[in-house]
Amino acid sequence: MVATLQVENLETHFPSRDGIVRAVDGVSFAIEPGEILGLVGESGSGKSITGFSILGLIDPPGRIANGSIKFKGEELTTASPERLRQLRGARIAMIFQDPMMTLNPVLRIDTQMIETVQAHEKVSEAAARVRCVETLKAVGIAAPEDRLKSYPHQFSGGMRQRIAIATALLHKPDLIIADEPTTALDVTIQGQILYEMRKLCRETGTALIWITHDLSVVAGLADRIMVMYAGKIVETGKIATVIERPQHPYTRGLIGSVPGAMPRGKRLFQIPGMTPALINLPPGCRFKNRCARADATCEAMPELAELQPGHGVRCHHPFGAEPLTLAEVR
Amino acid sequence: MTAFLELKDVSKRFVWRLDIAAKIANLFGAGLKERAVHAVNHVDLAIQEGEVVGLVGESGCGKSTLGRIVAGIMDASDGTIGFRGKALAAMNAAERRDYKLAVQMIFQDPYASLNPRMRVEDIIGEAPVAHGLIKRSEMGAYVERIMAQVGLDPRYRRRYPHQFSGGQRQRIGIARALAVKPRFIVCDEAVAALDVSIQAQVLNLFMDLREQLGLTYLFISHNLSVVEHISDRVVIMYLGRVVESAPTEQLFAAPNHPYTQALLAEAPKLVATRRDYLPIKGEIPSPLDPPPGCHFHPRCPHAFARCKAEAPVLKEIAPGRLSACHLNDQV
Ligand SMILES: Nc1ncnc2c1ncn2[C@@H]1O[C@H](COP(=O)(O)OP(=O)(O)OP(=O)(O)O)[C@@H](O)[C@H]1O
Ligand SMILES: Nc1ncnc2c1ncn2[C@@H]1O[C@H](COP(=O)(O)OP(=O)(O)OP(=O)(O)O)[C@@H](O)[C@H]1O
Ligand code: SF4
Ligand code: SF4
Ligand SMILES: [Mg+2]
Ligand SMILES: [Mg+2]
Repeated sequence: MVATLQVENLETHFPSRDGIVRAVDGVSFAIEPGEILGLVGESGSGKSITGFSILGLIDPPGRIANGSIKFKGEELTTASPERLRQLRGARIAMIFQDPMMTLNPVLRIDTQMIETVQAHEKVSEAAARVRCVETLKAVGIAAPEDRLKSYPHQFSGGMRQRIAIATALLHKPDLIIADEPTTALDVTIQGQILYEMRKLCRETGTALIWITHDLSVVAGLADRIMVMYAGKIVETGKIATVIERPQHPYTRGLIGSVPGAMPRGKRLFQIPGMTPALINLPPGCRFKNRCARADATCEAMPELAELQPGHGVRCHHPFGAEPLTLAEVR
Repeated sequence: MTAFLELKDVSKRFVWRLDIAAKIANLFGAGLKERAVHAVNHVDLAIQEGEVVGLVGESGCGKSTLGRIVAGIMDASDGTIGFRGKALAAMNAAERRDYKLAVQMIFQDPYASLNPRMRVEDIIGEAPVAHGLIKRSEMGAYVERIMAQVGLDPRYRRRYPHQFSGGQRQRIGIARALAVKPRFIVCDEAVAALDVSIQAQVLNLFMDLREQLGLTYLFISHNLSVVEHISDRVVIMYLGRVVESAPTEQLFAAPNHPYTQALLAEAPKLVATRRDYLPIKGEIPSPLDPPPGCHFHPRCPHAFARCKAEAPVLKEIAPGRLSACHLNDQV
C-alpha cells in the first residue's frame, strides 16, 4: 500500500539578518490512509511550518532547503505551483491555526463555502448549499441556514474555528492537516468534532495529521503521536507507549506540566529554561540546556533511534523502564 | 464593600442588518427580516479586587462579548458597569482613560489583534512609553524583560507578527497587556494556543503578579483543568445568561446546575485509551432564536413542564453560591 504522505528529511529555512532560522530541521514520517497522527510539541518547534511545507505554502524568503515530500507517491517539493494549488483545493486540506487564514472577512460564509464545493464538483448552487448546511450542523453550528448568511466577524472565535473545519470537510480530501483546530472549543463541541473527524477517516480513508498541544485530545483520538522540539522529532510511537512510557525528557516534562497534576493554586511544574531561538543553534542535543539528564555525551546530537519497533526516541539517556512519578501520571 | 468591578443587568444585542443583496431580494418579496442575537442577556457580575474569576461556557455563549464589555472595548446595549464604585457612564474623559489603561484584555484571536506592520518591540513597548510609564530610553530593556517573562527570546524583538508561530503570537498579546501595568486583566482563551509547559510558565506568571501586585483577573477559558487551577470562583454561562457561580472547589466537587454537571462529566482526562467520541445529544440552541423558558431545557435530562414556560432566575442556593435552575425550588 502506498502511503498517503511520505516525508523524508524535510528542512525548511527562513533566512534572517541574524542567521538562518531552521524552523524544520530533518523531519521524516509517513502516514497511511485512514490513519490519525498526532503532532505535539513546544510552541515554536516547527509544527505549523511542517504543515505549510507539505502544502507548498512557505512564503519567500523562506524555502524548503532539503528533503522530499511524497503525496500518494507524487513528489511535491518539485511540483509546479499550479499542481500544488490543484491538490490543495481538492485532495489535501489544511485547517489553519488562525481561522481567518481560511475565511475571507469581506465575504459572507455561504458565498465562500458554496464556492469551495463548486470548485471541485459540478453541482447546483442549491445542492451545494444543502451540503454546507449539513457540514455546519456536523460541527455543531446551530441554525446553520441563518448563520450561512453572515460574515466572519459576526461569529464567535470558536464558531470561526468550526467554520474553517467545516470548509475542510466539505469535499472529503485524502489528507487533512488540522493545525490546533479545537483550541477554543468546549468539551462537548470538541467531542462532536472529534466524532465527525474519526468517522470521516474510517469511512473514506482520509489520513489526518492533528497538530495540537492538548495531550488529552491526542491521547483519545490519534493512532500514533510525534513529539517535536526545536525543529526536530524527539519521540514518536503508538499513543499508549508514548503517553504511558515517555522516553524523552522533553516528553516527560510535557506530560508533567498538565494542570491537574498539581494541587489548585500551587505553582505548576514548568520545564526550566527557555526554548532556544532556532538561529545559530549550538551542536548537540537541543534540549540539553534544560535537561536534568544531560552530560558530556549530549554534546553530540542523538539520532532518532528505535527503542522498540515503532517507538523512536532522540536521546542518549532514555528513561527505559522507569515508571512515571505519581505527579506525572495523575 | 464596593466591588472592584460590577456589572448590573448587562445585556448586549447584535442586530444583523440586511445587506444590499437581502434588500434587493426583499424588493422581490423575499421578506427577509433583521434579526438580533442576544449575545449577553441580563448578566449581573461582581468581581472583588485580587480575585480570579473563571468564566466558562459553550462556544458562542457570549464570553468574549462579556469580556469586551468589561474591558471597556465594547458598549453594552443595556445595564450599568461600575469600576471601583463609579459607573462607567458617569466617568469623565480622564477617568475613562484611566479605566481603559487599568483594565487590559488579552484577545482570543492573537493574530487579528496584532498590527502586522509593527515590530514586536513597538507592539509591546509603545503604549507604556505613550502613557509615561517608562521613558523611551528604557523601552528596549523593558520590552526584553517582559518578553523573557512570557518565554519569548528577546532576540526576536525586531521581528514582525507573521514571523512568529501561533503560540508565540499569543504570548506577544500577553506581553502587550502586561506592559502597561494593568490592575485587571481579561484573559480571553489567553493560554489556549500554548503547549502545556509554556502554559504553566504563563499561569505561574499570572499567579505571581497577583501575589506581588494584587492583580485581578477575569479568566475566560474552555479548559476546565486550567480554570480549576487558577480561579477562586467560577462563573458558568449558557446562551448569554449566567447559570451558575460558585467557589471553585465547591463547583468542581458538587456542581448544582444540570449544564455544569454535564460539562464536568465530559472533561477529558489524560489517559492513553482511545475514547469513543459521541455526537451531541439534542439540538444545539441558537442565540438567534433561543428556546423559551430555561435556555437549557431542550438538552436537560431533568427538564419538566415549568422549564419550558418560565426562565429560572439566578439566586443564592448556599452562601456564595448562585444557580439558575427550577430544581432548586423543589423540596
Ligand atoms: N516567516 C518566518 N520568518 C522567520 N521565522 C519564522 C517564520 N515563520 C515561523 N518562524 C519561526 O519558525 C519556528 C517554527 O514555527 P511554527 O509556526 O512551525 O511553530 P509551531 O510549532 O506551530 O508553534 P505553535 O505551537 O506556537 O503554533 C518558530 O520559532 C517561528 O518563530
Ligand atoms: N460583531 C458581532 N456581530 C454580530 N454577532 C456577533 C458579533 N460578535 C459576536 N456575535 C454573536 O454573539 C454570540 C456570542 O459571541 P461571543 O464571541 O461572545 O461568544 P464566546 O462565548 O466568546 O464563544 P467562543 O467560545 O466560541 O469564543 C455569538 O452567537 C456570535 O455569533
Ligand atoms: S540527549 Fe542528553 S540532553 Fe538531550 S534529552 Fe537526552 S539526556 Fe537530555
Ligand atoms: S430549569 Fe429545568 S431545564 Fe433548566 S436546568 Fe433546571 S431542570 Fe434543567
Ligand atoms: Mg503553530
Ligand atoms: Mg470567545
